Amino acid sequence: MFLNAWSLSLVVCSIIVLFLMINAVRTGVRVLRYWDPASDSTLQIGLENETWLASTLVEFALAVQGLSLLLFILAADNYSQVIAGAMCATGSLLANEYGLPTLILKLVGFFLYGFWILIHQLDIRSEVYPLVRVKYLYLLLLIPLILADLILQTLYIANLDPDIITSCCAVVLSDTAVESGNLLGILPQSAMLKLYFGTITVLIGCALLMNNLVPGLKSVAQRWQAGLSFFYACGWLWFFGLALTAITTVISSYIYAMPFHRCPFCIIKPEYGYIGLAIYFTLIAGTFFGVSIAAVELLGRHPELRVQSGHYRKGAVYLSLVMLIALAILSSYHYLAYILTGGEG
Amino acid sequence: MKNRAIEKHFNLLDYALSSLWRRKLKNMGIITVFAVVIFLVASFQILTSSLTETAERMLAQTPEIVIQKMSAGRQESIPLAYLDRLDGIFGIRAAVPRVWGYYFDETSGANYTVMAADRSLMPEGKNLEMAIEGDFPAAGQGEAALGREVAANLKLAGRRTFSLFRPDLSLKSFRVSGIFAESTDLLTADLIVTGLDEGRDLFAIPENLATDLLLYVANPGEISTIAKKIAARLPDTRVLTRPQIHKTYKVVFGWRSGFASICLLTALAAFAILAWDKASGLSAEEKREIGILKILGWQTADILVLRFWESLAVSGLAFLGGCTAAYLHILFLEGSLFRPVLLGWSVIHPSLKIVPVFAAGDLLLIFTLSVLPYLAATVIPAWRGSTIPPDAAIK
Repeated sequence: MFLNAWSLSLVVCSIIVLFLMINAVRTGVRVLRYWDPASDSTLQIGLENETWLASTLVEFALAVQGLSLLLFILAADNYSQVIAGAMCATGSLLANEYGLPTLILKLVGFFLYGFWILIHQLDIRSEVYPLVRVKYLYLLLLIPLILADLILQTLYIANLDPDIITSCCAVVLSDTAVESGNLLGILPQSAMLKLYFGTITVLIGCALLMNNLVPGLKSVAQRWQAGLSFFYACGWLWFFGLALTAITTVISSYIYAMPFHRCPFCIIKPEYGYIGLAIYFTLIAGTFFGVSIAAVELLGRHPELRVQSGHYRKGAVYLSLVMLIALAILSSYHYLAYILTGGEG
Repeated sequence: MKNRAIEKHFNLLDYALSSLWRRKLKNMGIITVFAVVIFLVASFQILTSSLTETAERMLAQTPEIVIQKMSAGRQESIPLAYLDRLDGIFGIRAAVPRVWGYYFDETSGANYTVMAADRSLMPEGKNLEMAIEGDFPAAGQGEAALGREVAANLKLAGRRTFSLFRPDLSLKSFRVSGIFAESTDLLTADLIVTGLDEGRDLFAIPENLATDLLLYVANPGEISTIAKKIAARLPDTRVLTRPQIHKTYKVVFGWRSGFASICLLTALAAFAILAWDKASGLSAEEKREIGILKILGWQTADILVLRFWESLAVSGLAFLGGCTAAYLHILFLEGSLFRPVLLGWSVIHPSLKIVPVFAAGDLLLIFTLSVLPYLAATVIPAWRGSTIPPDAAIK
């Protein structure tokens, strides 16, 4: 189903990302081969100039990839109107076996590009560029991911089969319901909510401790700094999975005000005031900052990067904290509104 | 710290705008061409959503299932005896035989749609009264209700009767019982509604046949099950369900707009190459400007940000202009440039009143198809320009 404006724009996005990244990788290969900070040859100066290009290109590719993630979900939602049995994006993503892997790959890619930019920003803040080789190796490793993204997305779109009235066939073959059984409903709702808000509380406490906002525990926070960072990052990783599950199984049905409508995608629709966009934005951004703290903790062992990573760590903890609180407010708003107006939990 | 970073970006934006203004002619040219390209893409996208929306509105009141008899791959009249074979399928609220067809009026060259069905069998049949100024045609009395366009075309001028030709060129006369209200023009402009017998008489269709059968289903959740049962009992028919027709509209509009977008992609690619070319061919004056900025202490990164703001301003203006023009095109001209492509080339289509539908998703789509390629095409030339060594530029 390539002859559709949504499919086309996804393809255009992929081609742009590929084009930008290939150009960035050309620089990467040259840097890996010829980089020599001690030299002042024309080649080295040229390479130092080219690193600007590479970083701009990757930053741009990241922005496009973020847009393409959003576009992919909106496109899936749009496809659902023409695919047999699909009611929303869930249905069309499950329409063939490439839909969900593409989505997951796009999400993972978004995080990995983000980490590259983080490493790059730390690197250029130091005078000797200590991470140059690391970051260009990393860049080379991203290329297979981008290709996989492009291939999976192409397979997904190519294998979509719109349901159309053909003049020869009279029989209605389509089944109305192919919504998959809910594999996520392992935990009962109340336990899920307790776990969700419990994790949020622990993460907030941890963030306050890390930025020395808990009076009396300053020395503890400093002594266990590395351990706290890793704990916090792991906590965010766990929370990311938990939050996606909780949004799907519990929170979404409060937003729809329908007990049996559980869908992680419909909440981004205009009918629900785009609240899903805000929820996912805060969740993804918060997870990125939260998890990046572990990476920075490792990078900060390099003597040249100690100061910069310290600054970053502090900022990232604050940002993830803000995102977490915003997420907690956004995701509990409909639930609280329901409880306060006399609903039963 | 944060405020200073924002202030820096404001200053860069300020400089970018003023430097765009200094090269008005060149930039206006780019913006105009870009806006035209965006106008084309946006027109298609908005027209597609609007037509889909219009189709959805029109289909909302149609019967849930239509049964057509097929013979050798073509539709033909359906025997009324088929109705008996539907007995015992639960959930069918009403089954109505309908006779309808197109009547070509040779004197005015217009095509009318003649529709004949027994209103008393339809679940909402009583409400049809409200759409008519006058009376609904009574069955078997030789009466007809006319759409406003038809009434105008027949040049009735106060007369209450008119005649149409049967296939054997004998005349069949009708008495006008009422005219459809103006508010229903969308659906009734070319319509002649009459009783079932009169319709059969006009088209010379035998007593025991109808054009198709309309089925009303009480529970929309049962439509596809009922359709399946009918298809099993009446294997020589085509069973059309409302959701299916709706999907087909969507697929066809989506396919046509996608095809059109592919054609437009060539225009877009040509424009991206133009943008690349414009951005990489720096004049001596521009090189000197960059050299001076660098001597004044600007970094490569600053110049890259400056170029980014310039591109963003150019594409943002073009995007606004193109989308506004497309909106006006759909609103006032009803997408007349592209409507034939999306609706087909047939002349019998009634004039649709299209209301522009503009969703945030459409805007994002247009943005992705137009602005992103432009920005991507200008990144590398911008970098090439910004890494010119200052001494080389000044010499």
